[in-house]
Amino acid sequence: MADHSESGIGDLRLTRRSFIKGCTMAAAALGLSESMIPRLVSAATSPQRPPVVWLHFQECTGCTESLLRASHPDIGRLILDLISLDYHETVMAAAGYQAEENLHNTIEKYDGKFLCVVEGAIPTKDGGVYCKIGGRTAMDILADVAPRSAAVIAIGTCASFGGIQAAAPNPTGAVGVQDLVQGKPIINIPGCPPNPISFLGTVLYYLSWKKLPVTDNLGRPLFAYGRKIHDHCERRAHFDEGRFVERFGDEGHRQGYCLYKMGCKGPATFSNCPAVRFNDVDQWPVSAGHGCCGCTEPSFWDSMTPFEERLPEVKIPLGQGTVSSAESVGKTVAAVTAGAIGVHAAAGVVRRLAKGTAKKDEIRKE
Amino acid sequence: MRYEFEKYRAFGQLYRITHWIFAGSCVVLIFTGFYIYEPWFTTMLEIGYDDFTVANMRFLHFAAAYLFMGAVTARFYLWFFGNKQERITDALPVTKRNIKNFWGAILNYLYIKFHVPRLGHNALAGTTYLITFLLSMVMIFSGFYLLYPGSVQLQAWGGSIFGSQQNARFLHFILMFYFIFFAMVHIYIAVWNDVMFGEGLVSAIISGSKFLHIKRPKID
Ligand code: HEM
Ligand code: SF4
Ligand code: SF4
Repeated sequence: MADHSESGIGDLRLTRRSFIKGCTMAAAALGLSESMIPRLVSAATSPQRPPVVWLHFQECTGCTESLLRASHPDIGRLILDLISLDYHETVMAAAGYQAEENLHNTIEKYDGKFLCVVEGAIPTKDGGVYCKIGGRTAMDILADVAPRSAAVIAIGTCASFGGIQAAAPNPTGAVGVQDLVQGKPIINIPGCPPNPISFLGTVLYYLSWKKLPVTDNLGRPLFAYGRKIHDHCERRAHFDEGRFVERFGDEGHRQGYCLYKMGCKGPATFSNCPAVRFNDVDQWPVSAGHGCCGCTEPSFWDSMTPFEERLPEVKIPLGQGTVSSAESVGKTVAAVTAGAIGVHAAAGVVRRLAKGTAKKDEIRKE
Repeated sequence: MRYEFEKYRAFGQLYRITHWIFAGSCVVLIFTGFYIYEPWFTTMLEIGYDDFTVANMRFLHFAAAYLFMGAVTARFYLWFFGNKQERITDALPVTKRNIKNFWGAILNYLYIKFHVPRLGHNALAGTTYLITFLLSMVMIFSGFYLLYPGSVQLQAWGGSIFGSQQNARFLHFILMFYFIFFAMVHIYIAVWNDVMFGEGLVSAIISGSKFLHIKRPKID
């Protein structure tokens, strides 16, 4: 455990002890046995390990913040120590022209060898003018840097799937890295923000085995995104028993019942949150009493909202932006059907009353 | 007034069994599906502990889902290898006879035109059954995609069709209302046909036989 009692910012150097500890946590997340830890450690300390270029596009820097300010400083320091960051807009000392030169030099010097981490979505509309760094659009920079890297890691839901920028109506035409870069290994570490351990595990895996870990169809590493939240949640027993929170603050909420009816998206979300949890306080949203928002899934701003409803709302065509819950749309369909059946039956009865019973008149031979 | 009907064999055994398995599993799927969407007892009614209500409802849903899938598979076979009334060629308005029958059925249901006896379903009904069949496949695919989150292959498959689990759940839920709509209209139209034309349509799906008018006796 990190020492919080240090005065000021304390010793920024990473001790051997916390270095090993960080590697051990990553190994646990990766599902590796203890005997593999030395391998991770030696890969992480190898002088030949690749440099990292960290590109920031349309984003809030939340992913970087959560990595660096992890209340577990070991992890933050380990990441900084581990991946010799030659270009990272948030943490590098260089600025302006010098910074751009650093980027250029790293790409030249380590052509085909460096790791490219992308944070943030890339706007594509109107030639990509909605995000520019040093006079170049995000699209240009990505097209320049990514093809010359060894592999691309998209960190956060924005770089993976477009994130909030890509939410309807997506005014800037934002997309994730995988929509623009072809022919390079790309791995997605989505989340808003992603768990630092998932990122660290991926990097350590890459350094140790020179390849990216196995992923699902969305390019997410299976070690972190291979299981549904719902299947590993500590409130699952309450779900199976039918004990639900009906309103925030009710008795069930105080008892720690399942948050399904409060719109928890755990049943539709793949992530290791319930197992790995966040930082060193061993918390995650559900343990704090709010449902999962499904932040690791594509277009979660569209499909997982309203966050406190189970299913998305339905836009009623021609209704000029009217939305309705899926349930009320369905119930309306059923009610209208019942009404139509009633009218049809009544019309038949009235007609027969008017004409008298004349069943034979209804039939003609084919 | 005297009616003369002749008894005809309309539907085979497999077809009728399939129909009832489909109908029965649909009822269970809709009931339990609605429950999964909004589990109202237990928390609402406080019916006690240690009963695993939601888990059991889900179990029933999945058990019925397998029956449902069996029925849909059998129906698929019958579309091509069933008797004449059961085949896809009799259902769709693609031949001249069926196109005429399709519009004829609509006008008949609007009380505008005469009923024309036909051994199989009318083409309007046949078309609706094919739509229902296709939507059943969507229910099966989305259901299995939801059911096995641990299968990388199934997730890749389902993911490329539905996008995400949430989208699949949404579709799975919304489509439930098609099945509710279909069940309501289907039962109503079947009963209406029987009342209006006396062909024994409702019992035909049990016995397999329909009674068709052979002649209209003149009564003086
Ligand atoms: C007419 C057929 C069916 C109807 C009307 C139906 C209805 C529903 C509904 C309304 C839900 C709740 C969705 C939600 O609110 O999230 C649901 C869930 C589900 N259904 Fe179906 N369903 C049908 C067929 C199937 C089939 C064939 C399968 C195949 C295995 C299936 C598997 C599932 C699964 C796995 C869930 C999610 C349960 C959970 O995660 O707790 N369903 N169904
Ligand atoms: S709180 Fe959410 S993830 Fe946990 S059991 Fe309930 S629905 Fe599933
Ligand atoms: S619990 Fe859900 S919303 Fe929260 S970080 Fe995990 S995946 Fe994202």
